[in-house]
Amino acid sequence: MTSGNDSPGAGLGERLLELDPPEPAEPAEGLARMFGEVKSRCEASDRTIPGFLRSRSTVARRAIVLAVFALLLFVGWFVFPLVGDHARTAPWMASLVTFCVLLLLAMLMVTRPVHLPELPRWQIIGLVSVAIGATIVAAFWPIPAAQAATPEHAGGVMAGVCMGVGLLLGVPVYALLRLLDRGHALGSVVAAAAAGLGANFVLKAHCPIPGTSHELLGHASVALVFVLGLGLVHHWLPQKPR
Amino acid sequence: MSGSPTSSAATDEELMEAYIDGDEAAHRLLFERYAPILLRLTRRHLRDDDLAREIVQQTFFRLHGARNDFRRGSSVRPWVMTIAMNLVREHWRRMKRRKMTQLEPDTHAAPDAEFTPLELRQRSELLHVALEKLPTSQREVVELHWFQERPYAEVAQIMGTSEGAVRVRAHRAYATLKQLLVSEIRGDE
Repeated sequence: MTSGNDSPGAGLGERLLELDPPEPAEPAEGLARMFGEVKSRCEASDRTIPGFLRSRSTVARRAIVLAVFALLLFVGWFVFPLVGDHARTAPWMASLVTFCVLLLLAMLMVTRPVHLPELPRWQIIGLVSVAIGATIVAAFWPIPAAQAATPEHAGGVMAGVCMGVGLLLGVPVYALLRLLDRGHALGSVVAAAAAGLGANFVLKAHCPIPGTSHELLGHASVALVFVLGLGLVHHWLPQKPR
Repeated sequence: MSGSPTSSAATDEELMEAYIDGDEAAHRLLFERYAPILLRLTRRHLRDDDLAREIVQQTFFRLHGARNDFRRGSSVRPWVMTIAMNLVREHWRRMKRRKMTQLEPDTHAAPDAEFTPLELRQRSELLHVALEKLPTSQREVVELHWFQERPYAEVAQIMGTSEGAVRVRAHRAYATLKQLLVSEIRGDE
């Protein structure tokens, strides 16, 4: 043992040894049985697609996520019409960049290697809160009504449509991150926040409907529904070890 | 090199590399080396034999999933210890527990040469109760530094903090334990 103030000292050292005598060696049969169970669990996992993906190196897992995100971004950006030129304001661009950065951070958290100490809980909860907060703040920078391509919308109907589309868009993001998550404590909640961010990115980039109320009800709500629904439900329900 | 990759003389790192290459014997040897260490660690934390075994098995299951992240020149022990400690912490969070048990005065007797199973259990309980009184971060330092005999630098690596912070926690933890476990039986402090 080390010496100095940060070592137990002779008196405490002896006392600890008295109170924690060496345990008898673990019976070989017990260890063999435990190893057999571990081995069969590993083999069963290797035969599944999620097990195969999760056992890729962290660099490979992150590359997979980035490749899928880049593909979705490319298709979304160039295939579907963006909001009109006049609506592409600095706040609009700032919102999109913020969503991208937060999405990247969430991806890094979910794919964090398990041989590193878990991140402090406040960092994880902080990211999820900032993600939800960002979608709400972005709703207060909506497209000005005068510049919107579709100046009228039927009350909450279009908000419902946007919300439905957003939920559908978020599912692949959530599924992909959960597929590559090796079992972090709050992985489901972070993946849910990432799904909400992904959906909000697409809605912000393409939705021509103006108004804070529309964005709050139809866009920002998606992140909240994901976190409260999928994230927390998966977090609290017992899960298979991964 | 200390021997063929799957001989008992092989280092942990050689075994790990062989395991990554698909050598089942190396996997078994790694398990036989680390499972007893981890069982002792998890039993002391969890006080539940079945749960301790489950956590140890889950540690190896996670190690299996993470094996492709292992790089030459890394050390296996901090890897395994970190995974196990993460799982133990996760368990405690899930349980939302931390009930404070009181020290039992009749277990403070001076040590005898030979102990009955009951006495051993009482001693173990006394140690457990004393460790329970420490904050989790200090308890983990004592566990890894004293019971697992790991150097401070490695403890810092496992806990994801600086060596200085680990030394401070150790100092505080040992001072508290001394008060709880030594001064009471001697009555001199």
